[in-house]
Amino acid sequence: MSQAEVDTTQLLKGVLDLAVLAVLADADSYGYDVVRRLRESGLDHVGDASVYGTLRRLYQAGTLNSYVVPSDEGPHRKYYGLNNRGRKALDQSAQTWASLSKALNHLLNGRSNSHGK
Amino acid sequence: MASNDQASDVATYAASVRAALSDLPSDQAAVLLEDLEDHLREIAAETGGTLTERLGPPEKYAQELRTAYGATSSPSPRRPDPAFRDVRRAVAWVTSSAWYREVRVFLPDLRPAWWVLRGYLAALILTAAFSRDYPLGPIPNPATKRGLAEILAAGVAIWLSVRIGRRSRKLPQGAQVLAISANVLIAFVALAVLGNMHTFAYSELIGTATPEQAPFNAAYAAGPLTNIYPYSQDGKPLTNVLLYDQDGRPITVEQSEAQTTYPIGADGKAITNAYPLTQRHMNGDPAVAPRVAFPPWPTPSPTASPSATSSPTASPSTSH
Repeated sequence: MSQAEVDTTQLLKGVLDLAVLAVLADADSYGYDVVRRLRESGLDHVGDASVYGTLRRLYQAGTLNSYVVPSDEGPHRKYYGLNNRGRKALDQSAQTWASLSKALNHLLNGRSNSHGK
Repeated sequence: MASNDQASDVATYAASVRAALSDLPSDQAAVLLEDLEDHLREIAAETGGTLTERLGPPEKYAQELRTAYGATSSPSPRRPDPAFRDVRRAVAWVTSSAWYREVRVFLPDLRPAWWVLRGYLAALILTAAFSRDYPLGPIPNPATKRGLAEILAAGVAIWLSVRIGRRSRKLPQGAQVLAISANVLIAFVALAVLGNMHTFAYSELIGTATPEQAPFNAAYAAGPLTNIYPYSQDGKPLTNVLLYDQDGRPITVEQSEAQTTYPIGADGKAITNAYPLTQRHMNGDPAVAPRVAFPPWPTPSPTASPSATSSPTASPSTSH
């Protein structure tokens, strides 16, 4: 694992809940599909086990619904979707993230500007 | 990859993950791992190569799961020895039970009581060590010099024990183990001494029961034997029949509730083996001979043989 990958993993840890909630707000989904969609969004280094564990934890915390969809070809799929608590949690976390990223962007922009001078 | 290979790959990988998480509380593990196999099958179906190639080693996968789920992390990265898993599970079950917690709460209250008992037991062990031919009792006789010394020693031992107990609140780890071992040792040795005490008393009893000193006490299978009624062959009740056993010891019967009056001999001693005994019941009524059926003798003589139904009614006690 390169240093960049370690950094990404560390940074992702804090926002994985938010990312998973955001994916599920888009559409109900099952474990492997959530991983795929996160990766398609550009979160390449998201770990399969991290997503699986996060889904189970959010479900235990009562922010997700879950239902099983039988499949003819592959295994049964356990779908997860947001319930009211999940949507509230997503709204709150999104706000926190917005202000945090704004502050961080501001900090980083200031640094690049001072370098540019 | 053939589907059979895939299935066994999933089973093996899932088993390794479960094993790595075996230290989790069972309810947590059940929730976390309930659809692990389905999830792994999904991955195996959509990607080539083995699960280990795709997801990394199962131990790492388990660690990542643990972190993401926020489960209690294992104290050591070592995989637990499966041989001890059942023992640890049993210990966890006991320590999490309500009655165990209750006992844990009140056990510290009993500590001073143990200190006192410990002092007494220590004194007892010391006494036992110095008294090979000396009958050991739980409480020394204060009337003897030796008993007085033992009581004094026990007092000092109790005082010391309590003093040690009060000062041993904060011992370093190593000393604590040593102290607990010493306490257990005292308890076990004392148990042995207390067990032997019983043996002393028993052997004393045996020692005093010599034929010269004690009469033979007749026992009877049907219950306590409290009196004997002898009859002659022709069914006449006999009185003051002296009975002796094979060693010449007078045969006596157990003391019953009935009050017995023994004839007093010329030497002033009670004659306790002259039957039938003269007895009175608790209410003062004299004991009466029971109705008996005599056996038919093989050579009946027409004059002496009583009929099988005849029974004596005269009380032997009236002869006195």
